[in-house]
Amino acid sequence: MSQRPIELIHARNLMASISTPAFLVDGEATLVFYNDAAGSLLGRRFEETGPLPADRWGQEFGPVDPGGGRSPIDELPLTATLRQGRPAHARFCIHDHAGEPHEIDLSAVPIVASESEGFRGAMAFFWRVADGQGGSP
Amino acid sequence: MKVKVWGARGSVPAPGPETMRYGGNTSCLQVTLSDGTPLILDAGTGIRTLGLACPAPMNQFPILLTHLHLDHIQGLLFFAPSFQPENNLTIWGPSAGEASLEDRIARYISAPLSPVEVRELPCHVSFRDSPTTEWEIGPARIQAASVTHRGPTLGYRITDGDESLCYIPDHEPVLGGPLDECDPEWISGFELAQGVDLLVHDCQYRDEEYPTHVGWGHSSITDALHFCRRVEARNVLLFHHDPLHSDEMLDAVGELAAEYWSDHGGDPSVLTMAVEGAELEVTGAALSPRPG
Repeated sequence: MSQRPIELIHARNLMASISTPAFLVDGEATLVFYNDAAGSLLGRRFEETGPLPADRWGQEFGPVDPGGGRSPIDELPLTATLRQGRPAHARFCIHDHAGEPHEIDLSAVPIVASESEGFRGAMAFFWRVADGQGGSP
Repeated sequence: MKVKVWGARGSVPAPGPETMRYGGNTSCLQVTLSDGTPLILDAGTGIRTLGLACPAPMNQFPILLTHLHLDHIQGLLFFAPSFQPENNLTIWGPSAGEASLEDRIARYISAPLSPVEVRELPCHVSFRDSPTTEWEIGPARIQAASVTHRGPTLGYRITDGDESLCYIPDHEPVLGGPLDECDPEWISGFELAQGVDLLVHDCQYRDEEYPTHVGWGHSSITDALHFCRRVEARNVLLFHHDPLHSDEMLDAVGELAAEYWSDHGGDPSVLTMAVEGAELEVTGAALSPRPG
């Protein structure tokens, strides 16, 4: 497999170093990494799932409506970020590996390299609404 | 390919009696390609003495800059060929969104830091962003790739016939995660350096110094060697010495490096500590010192 762009390597390093749940998606919308904090919430560590293409991570983790039914993936802020290259934020539900729904706030931010290299992917940071501002201070 | 070290020091020039053997000039390598084309890697203060040694005029001077920290460009203003109107300098370097390569270099070669402006240099000078795709200079194919350091920073791989050299003087690959645990695709610089005949790599910090310098963009000696092992470099030139490291300290670093390499089943003769003025020949199989 070819070398990841340095911007994604840096983003992964940031995510691996923090306790804010976060995941990293490349320019083809493949989920290429999520950190241990996200793994705790999702019920599976990244080392267990490995990279997931867009259709797989949607199936794996949602989004779902408050009743547990599927929500359109088009409504995800990460989808807006990937398609339009802009930051996006939303509150919605995901489900963990055991099927348990969690209401989360999620902010997605595009990763744009220099002008000649362009769009690299996106970072998404999220936290459970039940946890308030998210994480321990 | 022939390699000459004109400056092996990092961060800031370190002249003085304690650094006379390894030298005090900052990063600059001359690579002479198979057809005699000279390629200059970085323009630290070592490029000043390189310029003085050039027969005038040489006409074409391709300079590949890894990044624009002062220890990699400081010598540009004192490079004698740039004051000869018959010469052509082509300076390649990392692109950045906010300003062109020329404008960023001109922040140094302009008032109040310099008495001369870029536009006043008598030679013809052109600035080019190093492309993300391979390109050619003389008989060599050049690859550039971003690597982990502070600010936009490139490493270069130069392939001339069957011989290859990779130059990553400022590099902190371990920031991406423990090198033992990372898949190659997540290791900064891996693809660029993989299987290269000669890898010129950052070795700025002794292991005990590194914990207080995490994130500064440089390698500990153990991390540098670990990276070199992971990419299976055939020969290694340890480079970018800390300005606080005396000749005696660098001798000790070299001994530690040889010990580490042996402990991991390698032949320590493939490791060389960069010494200002040293000349090496990359043969494709081994590195041989050239009579100086």
